[in-house]
Amino acid sequence: MHTTVAAERTVALAPPEAFALFGSPRGEGWLFGARCDSVAPGAVVSMRLPLDERGGTRGVDVLGRITRVVPSAAVEIEHTQPWRGRLSLRFTPAGSRGTRVQVRASVPPEGVEWLLHRRGVPLPEPPDDGAVRLGAITTASGPGAVYSMSAELMARLAVDEINADGGVAGHRVQLLTADDATDAEQAGVEAERMARLGCRAVFVNATSASFDAVRRVLDGRGVLVVHTVINEGGGDSPTAVRFGERPQAQLDALVAPAMRRADARRWFLVGQSYVWSHGAHASARRAVADAGGHVAGEDLTPLGTTDFTGTIERIARSGADLVLSSLVGADEVAFERQSEAAGLRRSVRTVSLVLEESTLAHIGPRAAAGLQTALGYFEDNPLAGNDGLLARYRDAYGSWAPPVTALSEPIYEAIHRYARVLHTDPDGGPSAHAAALARRIPAPREETIGSRDLVAPRLYVAEVGPGGLEIVDAVAGR
Amino acid sequence: MSTTVDRCYGPWVDPKEDLAFDALSDRVRRRILSVLGEEGELSVNRLAERVGTVGRTTVSSHLRLLRTSGIVRERREGRNRYYSLDTDGAVRDAFVYLQSIMRQAVDDIDDAPAPAANAEPGERGRDTG
Repeated sequence: MHTTVAAERTVALAPPEAFALFGSPRGEGWLFGARCDSVAPGAVVSMRLPLDERGGTRGVDVLGRITRVVPSAAVEIEHTQPWRGRLSLRFTPAGSRGTRVQVRASVPPEGVEWLLHRRGVPLPEPPDDGAVRLGAITTASGPGAVYSMSAELMARLAVDEINADGGVAGHRVQLLTADDATDAEQAGVEAERMARLGCRAVFVNATSASFDAVRRVLDGRGVLVVHTVINEGGGDSPTAVRFGERPQAQLDALVAPAMRRADARRWFLVGQSYVWSHGAHASARRAVADAGGHVAGEDLTPLGTTDFTGTIERIARSGADLVLSSLVGADEVAFERQSEAAGLRRSVRTVSLVLEESTLAHIGPRAAAGLQTALGYFEDNPLAGNDGLLARYRDAYGSWAPPVTALSEPIYEAIHRYARVLHTDPDGGPSAHAAALARRIPAPREETIGSRDLVAPRLYVAEVGPGGLEIVDAVAGR
Repeated sequence: MSTTVDRCYGPWVDPKEDLAFDALSDRVRRRILSVLGEEGELSVNRLAERVGTVGRTTVSSHLRLLRTSGIVRERREGRNRYYSLDTDGAVRDAFVYLQSIMRQAVDDIDDAPAPAANAEPGERGRDTG
């Protein structure tokens, strides 16, 4: 049952004036500082819930899309993060020159649960009903929420399909989910809970820092850990498997062609001060050197950085012609928007390692024009079975559900693949299951959804054009 | 079915007293709630032992805030006080919080006369991240 929370106020503005404040720089203070590039159906919108300590600056972003607009009268928003819910705004005339502004939030039980958990209240522990329990740790808040919009939905879709097919070895599969809040310590806390509740495997669709924390917490606990998103590699253990793109393969696909196209050799590396960017930039330095270029500068910023003015100034001063960004999530959104606003696009070309459809939507088509990336999945890729997958996803979650991306499709495939392993070997331990999952499947000539090589995915090079991320090349995995 | 709770979660808890909603920002408070979730009911001394990293006084001050918010229930027995989670109170607290931020959202609408220089239509927040 959804609960509606509402508030209203009559303001001394005509309805068109009150409506025009929504999402505008002048109106940033209201509706949690809503930001959007346009007020039209389909436009992405972000707002910030003040969740933090008194006087603090942190908050949690509410990320969604505008689904309906009646000029001067109504705006409807469906949001995915940090929970799936709806917000509606109504503007009705009040008196000769006033407007009654009503805001209503429809909050599902999962939203209340998320709030309670964020408050620190332990979640109720589901009774053991004999189901095979799997955990999915995704990112619903913090800077990573931008790229994780559809991850939990895709994990649920996989589990629903497995159960519709009869479950695993005669047992229903139950998915336990958690938000790591882009915080490795929180990921560890959630992994501990999942182990206590008897999860046989935990799928980590989050940063490498969160994966490391989960792997440490679950070491020796008899739980398989699967990292399902792009990562820098390393951290192997007999009970942990890492799927996803690797920066070395991405850079092999991106660096030399970018240099040829721009007829340029000087690179600037921008990333975050944690293990992902450290690994990615080490690969970048090798790839740039191999291609005959050199690195003119590097900036590593803390995860959660919102102001890249200093970084952009250093790029401009370095004389670099090419920028490699390994920034992720909200940081990548802020950097690319600020780069475009500062005019950096006129002098440099940028390749970005983690630029999927959700992040692109938040950067906006204008600020992202010309950016290049190389990832294993795009929504409009030519893989057989992709149309069917997208149709099932839209049937399950509606036409406004966030895009399926390279950072959400692999968790769907990984859970299906694990279910097949478990079905074949229900009594096997996490080491045997890890070995079975990591076994390379001989690559078919035509990959299909469900049989992709998740260990070393084939990459598609894409460039942001008028139609979004447009695939320009396909290259073999590592 | 929807239930409108506008103003239902009334003034018995002043939202301004209770803006510290994020347990991630306070590990001690999260630990207290986690221990109460595992143990059911504990005295302050026992709770302070289980939390481990801070003293009894600090635990007491966090408990006072949690009790004011309705998340933790207090029971007195002789000279001792015992604390446990109040799940109903926690749900009520979540709605008090939601109600307070919705109210804040509309209160923050700036309906003073617009300044002369307005942003171009269709170019909203270009300079923001």
